[in-house]
Amino acid sequence: MALFSVSKTAFLLAFLSLRTYQSEVLSEPLPWAPESLKVSVNTTSQSLHLQWTVHNLAHHQEFRMVFQIEISRIKTSNVIWVENYTTTVKWNQVLHWSWESKLPLECAKHFIRMRSAVDAAKTPGPRVWSSWSSWEEADVQNSLGQDLLFVFPKDKLVEEGSNVTICYVSKSHQNNISCYLEGVRMQGEQLDPNVSVFNLNHVAFIRETGTNIYCKPGQGDGIKGTVLFVSKVLQEPKDFSCETQDLMTLNCTWDPGSDTGLLKQLSQSYTLFESFSGKKILCKHKSWCLWQVAPESQDMYNFTLTAENYLRKRSVHLLFHLTHRVHPMAPFNVLFKNVNATSATMTWKVHAIGKYYTLLCQVELYGEGKVTQHNVSVKVDGVHLFSGLEPDTEYLAQVRCANGDHFWKWSEWTHQNFTTVEAAPSEAPDVWRNVKIVQGRCVVTLFWKPLSKLQAHGKILFYNIVIEYLDRTSGSEVLSIPAPASGTELPLNQCSSQIRITASNSVGTSPASVLVVSREPGNEEVEEERVKGTEDGFPLSWNPQPRHVTGYLVEWCEQPRDPPCDLQWKNLGPNVTSTVVSSDAFRPGVRYNFRIYGISTERVPCLLARKTGYSQELAPSDNPQVVMTNLTSHSFTLSWKNYSTESQPSFIQGYHVYLKSKAGRCHSGSEKAVLSDVPCVGWLIVPPPQQITEIISILTYFCSFEEGKVLIKNTTLFSSPAPTLIRILLPTVFCILLIMITCYLKSQWMKEKCYPDIPDPYKSSVLSLIKSKENPHLTIMNIKDCVPDSIEVLNKQEGTRKSFTETESTKPTYLYLLPTEKRYSSPGPCICFENFTYNQAASDSASCGHVPAPPKAPPSQLGLLTSPENLLKALEKNYMNSLGEIPAGETSLNYVSQLASPMSGDMSNLPKNPPEPALCSEYKMQMAIPLGLASPPSSGSSSLSSITLLDEGERYH
Amino acid sequence: THLRAWDSWGLLACLCTVLWHLPAVPALNRTGDPGPGPSIQKTYDLTRYLEHQLRSLAGTYLNYLGPPFNEPDFNPPRLGAETLPRATVNLDVWRSLNDKLRLTQNYEAYSHLLCYLRGLNRQAATAELRRSLAHFCTSLQGLLGSIAGVMAALGYPLPQPLPGTEPTGAPGPAHSDFLRKMDDFWLLKELQTWLWRSAKDFNRLKKKMQPPAAAVTLHLEAHGF
Repeated sequence: MALFSVSKTAFLLAFLSLRTYQSEVLSEPLPWAPESLKVSVNTTSQSLHLQWTVHNLAHHQEFRMVFQIEISRIKTSNVIWVENYTTTVKWNQVLHWSWESKLPLECAKHFIRMRSAVDAAKTPGPRVWSSWSSWEEADVQNSLGQDLLFVFPKDKLVEEGSNVTICYVSKSHQNNISCYLEGVRMQGEQLDPNVSVFNLNHVAFIRETGTNIYCKPGQGDGIKGTVLFVSKVLQEPKDFSCETQDLMTLNCTWDPGSDTGLLKQLSQSYTLFESFSGKKILCKHKSWCLWQVAPESQDMYNFTLTAENYLRKRSVHLLFHLTHRVHPMAPFNVLFKNVNATSATMTWKVHAIGKYYTLLCQVELYGEGKVTQHNVSVKVDGVHLFSGLEPDTEYLAQVRCANGDHFWKWSEWTHQNFTTVEAAPSEAPDVWRNVKIVQGRCVVTLFWKPLSKLQAHGKILFYNIVIEYLDRTSGSEVLSIPAPASGTELPLNQCSSQIRITASNSVGTSPASVLVVSREPGNEEVEEERVKGTEDGFPLSWNPQPRHVTGYLVEWCEQPRDPPCDLQWKNLGPNVTSTVVSSDAFRPGVRYNFRIYGISTERVPCLLARKTGYSQELAPSDNPQVVMTNLTSHSFTLSWKNYSTESQPSFIQGYHVYLKSKAGRCHSGSEKAVLSDVPCVGWLIVPPPQQITEIISILTYFCSFEEGKVLIKNTTLFSSPAPTLIRILLPTVFCILLIMITCYLKSQWMKEKCYPDIPDPYKSSVLSLIKSKENPHLTIMNIKDCVPDSIEVLNKQEGTRKSFTETESTKPTYLYLLPTEKRYSSPGPCICFENFTYNQAASDSASCGHVPAPPKAPPSQLGLLTSPENLLKALEKNYMNSLGEIPAGETSLNYVSQLASPMSGDMSNLPKNPPEPALCSEYKMQMAIPLGLASPPSSGSSSLSSITLLDEGERYH
Repeated sequence: THLRAWDSWGLLACLCTVLWHLPAVPALNRTGDPGPGPSIQKTYDLTRYLEHQLRSLAGTYLNYLGPPFNEPDFNPPRLGAETLPRATVNLDVWRSLNDKLRLTQNYEAYSHLLCYLRGLNRQAATAELRRSLAHFCTSLQGLLGSIAGVMAALGYPLPQPLPGTEPTGAPGPAHSDFLRKMDDFWLLKELQTWLWRSAKDFNRLKKKMQPPAAAVTLHLEAHGF
């Protein structure tokens, strides 16, 4: 107590002396002003580091002081930072303070000054500051080097989402420096003429190798840059957990979360610190670490896992008891002993965990689709007996263990397989038979189904067959059929016999299946009934038997079309009278036959019912081969005797026969005839015989198995071809002959009328036409009445044809035989025979008198032609005038032979020797030419004229 | 006329020199030995293959560095990569190189480039890139062996690395990560140029070593004077 009062007194004295001193300071400068202020620059951390001392402190003196620090940028008046730094100051102590600049320190000069005050927070009154120290300058631009361009900061590491300030310092006078962030130009602000600053907000992670920022001047190829390493935010480790397998080593694991995306040297590190022992280790891996346990000296552990990189630190804690975190190793040396058909013993070993711990082991057994589970307590060795197993079955056993005292985690499973040994088959084979009589001898074909795995209890090696004849006259027969046979054919000495079939494996024989074969084939007279299949199968039912039966059996062939038919059977109980037979082998359109037997107590089968049906009916697949016979004038017979209805994909219900006429109309009374008797011979009355030739018979049949779906095939039947041909050919020939005769007569009449060999004006219809229209008084001149005094032969000269060529193609050629009576200018009535064959254009030129040749013949020529007297003169005078030069309009009668060849014909074919004028005899005859004039003219020109007049086509020899 | 006289004298001197050294040229002394021709051809083929391989690798690596290094028209000054063997050479100088010097320069260049490339491989962050770089280093090692084989076949000694000149990984002192990336860029670029030059070198050698082309070789050499 005395000591306490003494110290209290001393404290009060010291405090009073301090207050006294402070009151003195108010009037004088503070003696503990900061001195020896030194500023250094750390460009790596972009921080200013200050160090100073406080003088005039007594050796034992220790004060808590406040230092006010001011930082200016570029110039002292531009204060950017003011901070009060409070610390305890001792005698002769060097004080330190750091400040991190957001702007790279290379970008601008910084000025620092400070003042101090005694921290009198506990004492009232204003704070008394010392005077400011002088400004200290921090300038690193002078030490940059000789380069002309710099980009700062160098290789900075920041966290994603941070704000970063970049600057460049240019020592050249170029101002057009452009800076790029990952190739994208940045816009900055100029700090001074040589420094520009770029603020990057919320920087994002781009790649592990950092974000490239570079600047380049407008001229020259200098490029300077920096790499900004952006780290993803370091995540807190998740799922931190520690456990031991042997109480010697702790394995601590955690999920480090997403990667920070930095290069390996910049990536985070993990440290593990245990607070009870004070140990700390640096983990080599990112997600796990091993910790050595101090044996039997520490049970409780309190771990702190710290993830740390340059920017951030994250920690998680874990407190646990060592024995509560035991995760045993998987059991080993799993073995099976005393394995028999139904039981086995499993043994295994476990890794020891200390001396006093008991393990809880879990044993699982998989086999035959079932799982059984058992728990076993184990110290060192584990044992478990599996019972109730199936013979000859493979099982999988597995075991895992955990700490029995404080459960934490199961170990991994350890697996092992084993197989139980075989036992004798437990069930008799399922046997059926087929009995047939071959050459008076019973031959039985036995079929059996292989035993299931659960029934066989091992691999079946043989099927044993014992035949016992019931009449006791013959001895027994024993056969052994090796597996995997599923049937055999046995000729029996006698039909009445009992057959016993057993299956054998390596251990024993199964119970026997007994069949009795009777001489009677059974009740084969049972009427067959139809059954309709469904998607689920064939529903079969039968009447219960009054006699005592041990069961029923349904038999069918799964492949009824293919021998062997793949006999199937189904055993049913004695109280069952219906079943559904289903099989994947059933196909649509296939008729299946089912036989239902009752099995008597004597094992004798008796046929009870026969069923037949389709799982699904389909349309008939093939045509009946129809034969038409007995064709008479009134009837014919159609028959399709060989049409197998059994092989059809559905039940044939009937046949439809159609008879159609050629016009497609059905004959009344014969449109449709349903012949329901199957198979049958169809018949049909055809229409009267005179119509038979007009009819094509079409037979159509179809099977109606489903309403609305009918008409399948068409078959066309032709009647006998010979009578049909005769009926068609004879009238055709007759008609042709009739037409030919008619045509001939008509052509003869036409010839006579229009162009006879010797035209007769009295017979010409043209004359009557002229008479009626133009001149009713026109008469025909009778040549006999005329006495010609001269004759003029008009010839066409070869040389004059050339002048005709232009109009030749468009105008008919006219031969002027007789002059008209004086009317030269106007066309008069004429008779014209135009050869349209040779000149189609001529036919278009209206009447024959309208020849478009210009009527400008020379007067002399015209005059000559106006009278018969002048005719010969004209011939003599100018015989060479061409026909073309004679105006067509001045002619009154023209004749153009239809046989004349075109004038443009081949002139080379003309005979060089002029033919005799006498060749023009027919014209001469008409004009009654005197014989004297018929002699050839003496002049060569007349000879030439005759040549041209009679070309090849006009010669009549 | 002066030039013609000089050419004549040069040709004569060349012929004399060549005839004097003729027994010493292994390529002309062979008897049934295929000589270095096939191995030169193989070396030439290897350079072409490496050119193709490097095109793919450089694309991947420059993308890994990011822009502007992967930009097609990026052509920075060769500042920090002075220690890299320079492939570009004056054409006349290149023509005047003799076989030994030509092969020696190739061998030395690839020895250095291989070391730098291995350093690149160590720094690569992605496993796929490391695999590609390792594969390329193996191929480049093969090229070095191939050049050594040609030199041995021609009777030339392999150049001995001077102590202290062996590069240790990065070409030159990298001041910053940006400069290091620049060095990586130049390493790949020089490698590409060297492979292109080597293809020319070995093509020239190949033509020289063809048996009927011996006289032609003399003629070409005469042009060098």
